[in-house]
Amino acid sequence: MTDSAIKMSGLRVRFRDRGREVEALAGVDLEVRAGEVFGFIGPNGAGKTTAMMVLLGFVEPSAGSATVFGEDVRRRIARERIGYLAERAEAYPFLTGRELLDTAGRLFGLRGAALRERVDGLLERLGLAGAADRRIATYSRGMLQRAGLAQALVNDPDLLILDEPTGGMDPLGRVEVRGIIADLRRRGKTVFFSSHELSEIELVCDRIAIISRGAILSGGETRALVARAASLEKYFLELLGADSPGGGGR
Amino acid sequence: MRRARAVARTVWLETIRRKDIYVLAILLVALLCALLSADVFGLGATTRYVTDLGLMAAWLFSLVLAVGVGCRQLPEEERRGTVYFLLSKPVTRGELLAGKWMGAWGVVAFATAAFYLLVAGVAAARGGALDPAALAQAWLLHAAALAWVVALGIALSTRMTFGAAAASTAVLLAASFTIVPRVPEIIGGGGADEAALLVLYYLFPHLELFDMRMRLVHEWGTVPWGVGALLVAYGAVLAVLFMALARLGYRRKRFSRGEIG
Repeated sequence: MTDSAIKMSGLRVRFRDRGREVEALAGVDLEVRAGEVFGFIGPNGAGKTTAMMVLLGFVEPSAGSATVFGEDVRRRIARERIGYLAERAEAYPFLTGRELLDTAGRLFGLRGAALRERVDGLLERLGLAGAADRRIATYSRGMLQRAGLAQALVNDPDLLILDEPTGGMDPLGRVEVRGIIADLRRRGKTVFFSSHELSEIELVCDRIAIISRGAILSGGETRALVARAASLEKYFLELLGADSPGGGGR
Repeated sequence: MRRARAVARTVWLETIRRKDIYVLAILLVALLCALLSADVFGLGATTRYVTDLGLMAAWLFSLVLAVGVGCRQLPEEERRGTVYFLLSKPVTRGELLAGKWMGAWGVVAFATAAFYLLVAGVAAARGGALDPAALAQAWLLHAAALAWVVALGIALSTRMTFGAAAASTAVLLAASFTIVPRVPEIIGGGGADEAALLVLYYLFPHLELFDMRMRLVHEWGTVPWGVGALLVAYGAVLAVLFMALARLGYRRKRFSRGEIG
C-alpha cells in the first residue's frame, strides 16, 4: 500500500529530433499524494505533456523511474486505475458518443449491465444524453471535450490525468469540469491536472508544481505559493522571468 | 482477448460506415449486369464467362479492400490522435495490433463472402449454379490469403505512412501473383544466381496458391480437403509471421504528437 498516487524520481527523457538531441525532462522529482488535486503548470514546451506521456507508458524514460500507486508505469496494471483526457480530445468521428464510451468501457474490461449503467450515467452527468446517439463527427469542440472527459471517467479511475481539460469549453462547461473535479476530490480520487488557465488551477488545486525546460522550478501548497505574489499568475510570471535565459534564474 | 475484440469492433464499425464495401459491391453488380447483357464473340452471355470475370472482380475488390483497410488502421489512429485514447487504457500494443488484424480481416473476409454470393447469385440466375462445396472452399482459401495480406499491410504500416504501406503491399502482391509463380519456368541450368532465385521463390508468399477461380469456372470441384487445410495452415503461418514483424515494428514506436509540451 502506498500514499503516493504518482512518484517520479530523477526522471529523464531524451530523444533525437531531426538529428538534434532534445532533453524533454531533465531529472524530474515529483510526488503526488493520493486524494489530492495537483496542478502541473508551465509554459509551452516545458515538458508537461511528456511527463504525462511517461505516466501513460507512451514514452520510455531515458533514466529514473515513474510509478502510479506504486506500480511501474510501463506495466499494464498501472493504467487500470488511470483515466486520461488528452489536450485535444480526439475521438472516432464515425462512432456515436454512446459507442465511444462503450468502447472505452470494454477496453477496461467492463461488460453488460454494469457498462450500460456506467455509460448512461456519464452521458447524463456530462450533459451529452441528448446527443448520445449522434455521430461524434457532428459534435462541437466543447461537446467533444465533454465526451473525452466522459471516456476518461468510464472506469471510475483512482487517478485522473487531465491535459488542458477545459480547452474549447464554454464557461458553463468549465464550471461543470470544476464540479467534477471537486466531486472526485470528495470521493478521495487523485487528479493530476495541467492547464494554462492559472485562475482555474488556483481555484481547484491543493498543490502545484511549476515546470520549465524539463525541470521542476517550484512547487508546494497552492495557497502558500499564491500568498507569495498575490496571485498564481503573478508568481508564475515572476518565476519564469527569473528562469528565462536572460533572467538570472536556474 | 476481450480488449482486442473491442478494438476489432471499432474497425468493423469504421469500415461499414465508410461505405467502401458498398461502393465495391455496387461496382461488382454493375459489372455483372453489363456482362449479362454482353454478347462476346457472338456466344451470348455464357455463365462461365460471367463467373470468370465476376470472380476476378471479387478477387481484385477484396484485395483492394484488404490493402486499404489493413494499411489504414495504424497511421489513421496516429493522425487522428485516437491512439492516445486506445493506449492510455490497459491495452498492450500487442492487443491493439491483434484487434486491428481481427477487425480488418473479419470485415474484408465478410465482404468477400458477399461478393462471392453476388457472383453465385448471378450465375444461378443464368442457369449455371456453382458447386456449393467448391464455392465454400474457394472462399475459405481466399479468406486465408486475405489473412496474411491484411497482416502484411499492418506490418508495413507500423513504420510507413498509409500511402507508402499501401503502395508497397500492392507491389508485393502483384509480384506474388504474377512474377513469383513463373520463377521455375525461367530457371534452367543451375548456378548461384538461379539458386538464389529459387530460395526467393520459396520464401516469397504465393498468392496464386489460394486462387480457386479456375476450379469454379470449369466445374472441377473441390481440391482434396487435406490440401485445402494445408493451404489454410500456410496462410495462417504467413499471417502470424507478418503480425510478429508488426509487433517488432510497433513495440517501441514513438508517436509524433505530444513529445514535448
